[in-house]
Amino acid sequence: MSGPSGITPAYELEGASRSFGEDSRRVLALDAVSLTIGRGEFVAVFGPSGSGKTTLLQLLGALDRPSGGSINFEGQSLGQLGDSALAELRLRAMGFIFQQFNLIPTLTAVENVEAALAPLAMSWAERRETALDHLEAVGLAPRAQHLPTQLSGGEQQRVAIARALARSPRVVLADEPTGNLDTRNGELVMDLLARLHAELQITLVLVTHDEWIAERADRVLRLADGRLVGDSAAEGATKVTP
Amino acid sequence: MFYLRYLVAELRRRPARTVLTTLGLAVGVGLVVIVGALSRGLDDAQDEVLEPLTGVGTDLSVTRPLAASGDGGSAAGPQGAFGQLSARERRQLEDENKRNGLDFDLTKLGKPGDRFATDRVVATDLSFPASQVAKVRRLDAAADAAGSVALNAVRIEGTVPEASMPGGAALHGGEFTVTSVTVSGVDVRKPGLGKVTPAQITQGRYFAKSRAKARDEAIVDLGYARQNDIKVGDSTRIAGRRVDVVGLSSAALGGEASNAYLELGRLQELSDREGRVNGIQVRADSADAVGRLEDEIARQLPGADVVTAADLADRVGGSLADADDISSKLGTALAIVALLAAFLIATLLTLSSVQKRIRELGTLKALGWRQRIVVRQVTGESLVQGALGGLLGAAIGIAGAAIIDAIGPTLQASVEQQSSGGFNPFGQGAVSAGSTDVVLGAPIDVGLLLLAIGLAIVAGLLAGAAGALRAARLRPAVALRSAE
Repeated sequence: MSGPSGITPAYELEGASRSFGEDSRRVLALDAVSLTIGRGEFVAVFGPSGSGKTTLLQLLGALDRPSGGSINFEGQSLGQLGDSALAELRLRAMGFIFQQFNLIPTLTAVENVEAALAPLAMSWAERRETALDHLEAVGLAPRAQHLPTQLSGGEQQRVAIARALARSPRVVLADEPTGNLDTRNGELVMDLLARLHAELQITLVLVTHDEWIAERADRVLRLADGRLVGDSAAEGATKVTP
Repeated sequence: MFYLRYLVAELRRRPARTVLTTLGLAVGVGLVVIVGALSRGLDDAQDEVLEPLTGVGTDLSVTRPLAASGDGGSAAGPQGAFGQLSARERRQLEDENKRNGLDFDLTKLGKPGDRFATDRVVATDLSFPASQVAKVRRLDAAADAAGSVALNAVRIEGTVPEASMPGGAALHGGEFTVTSVTVSGVDVRKPGLGKVTPAQITQGRYFAKSRAKARDEAIVDLGYARQNDIKVGDSTRIAGRRVDVVGLSSAALGGEASNAYLELGRLQELSDREGRVNGIQVRADSADAVGRLEDEIARQLPGADVVTAADLADRVGGSLADADDISSKLGTALAIVALLAAFLIATLLTLSSVQKRIRELGTLKALGWRQRIVVRQVTGESLVQGALGGLLGAAIGIAGAAIIDAIGPTLQASVEQQSSGGFNPFGQGAVSAGSTDVVLGAPIDVGLLLLAIGLAIVAGLLAGAAGALRAARLRPAVALRSAE
């Protein structure tokens, strides 16, 4: 297990694996990964396509269950929680940013942010105000009433970031957040994420296959063929070769 | 509320899917409502035709027609039919018509060359004592019964011939004119069971309730009145007596229609049939009791012909019967097929729509939405679509029915000749053949309307719940991998 000492861990993975299919068709997407991610860390999961980055992110986000090993989030074993408890955990503690934005096409920008707040007990006015505040934080307050189709890719991703942060999560998990953006918008989004991470002290785990994006993180985890092959935080202590 | 706004947004901002699903259901519901309305319209049309057939409240009509035991008389001709009668029946009929029949001596009418006019009242049905009416009324399954007399009032006018020729042979000599009027006697104390009922009065009024007051009153069939220029308030001669026309009645298609109706006692007197009737109209305790009552009457009056309202309905033919037949056979099937097709379309569209939204639903789960909230959201959308489809379908159905009402297609109802023996030279006492036009309406059946809307809502609910459950059960990671 690797990770900086002295930091309370957000995640602790011990031999976490995820396979798909059965018998001869079985594909091992993640192969016995063990690592620790501290609270407030900005971690980039780096690797080529098919290396298991997204699978790892989905396990961290309680969107999937490991086939083997264990994943603890803030001391809680995700494998032992039921679907409802996992949903509650995602609601209270996690925020997601997707490569394709995953905004709901029939809802306006502000309504998309409100969608993340809907299961929480709050008044309509409070929910609307919170959503607008977060759109303001990503510079999109003037576009609050626009539908996703009326926004550029960069704007859509900023709405997705506002949605991910609306519930003040402790962890934000971003899957190739700049993958569908041009370089300029990609940089804008990365600047925004870095700023929010610094301001909000959230744990940010970001999946990317771009070297320059990975370099902006505090720590880079390198994956290849489902295995953890490098961890910048541990380099020097435990050199992992691809 | 956010969920409601989301629901509305989904329906409003995916117009093609919403319109297609809603229309699919609406067409099905609309068809069901229209077919139901048409079916009800046909039933009403048939009732309209049958009402004058059966009279108000009459379930059975009892007569004692000649040759009631065989039904080949019509082909055998009058003499043949007469020949089929038993000796007892012949004697009875001859006796009934003896004093007031067509067998008379012309020489007693005047001197050769003198003008003469004579009125005769003859019957083609055998009569029975009026006491039988009371016996029928006392039968277990009978609610009430009334007697009647149906006769032919024949007026013969002409010149007394040089050589007297007794009997009916002289009638064919060309020196006489014969006019025949069918007349029925009505028990005015029981108007609902009369040969003519208050419901059939189109002008004027029904008989006075008192038998004494009704003695000189007559009701005349509308068609006969038009032919002979008779109006309400006129005094006319029927069966040789002057009577006041107090009302005109609508033609009774296929019923035992007469040209004129007199108070029963008065007609019995005029035809020398005091204390005798040749028809009984009976009302059963209930619709279920009709069959039993028919058997009881047949046992009490051997040889009697008992005709039920259902028998009369069976004889209604023409385009009305064809349409009703099509409606009962095809209409229900069409409605079921339309509804099933609509539900199938709505279900497939809903499932397809949910399938396309799997990633969206996965995103919602990633955002912390519980499975039941996701299912509720999608089901709510389908439910509203079902309700919209149901309401639009109801509107289509009501509009379709209104169009049918506005067009008012005409159907023809015809009634076949009843084969009651054929010895029936004047048609009295038998169900007369004829046809009438009836306008087809399409009254909306509110119950069916609500049922169709309800089914559309249920269809939406089930389709939405099935699709949503299937999608919401997926792990978020699997749903998020789904292509848009």
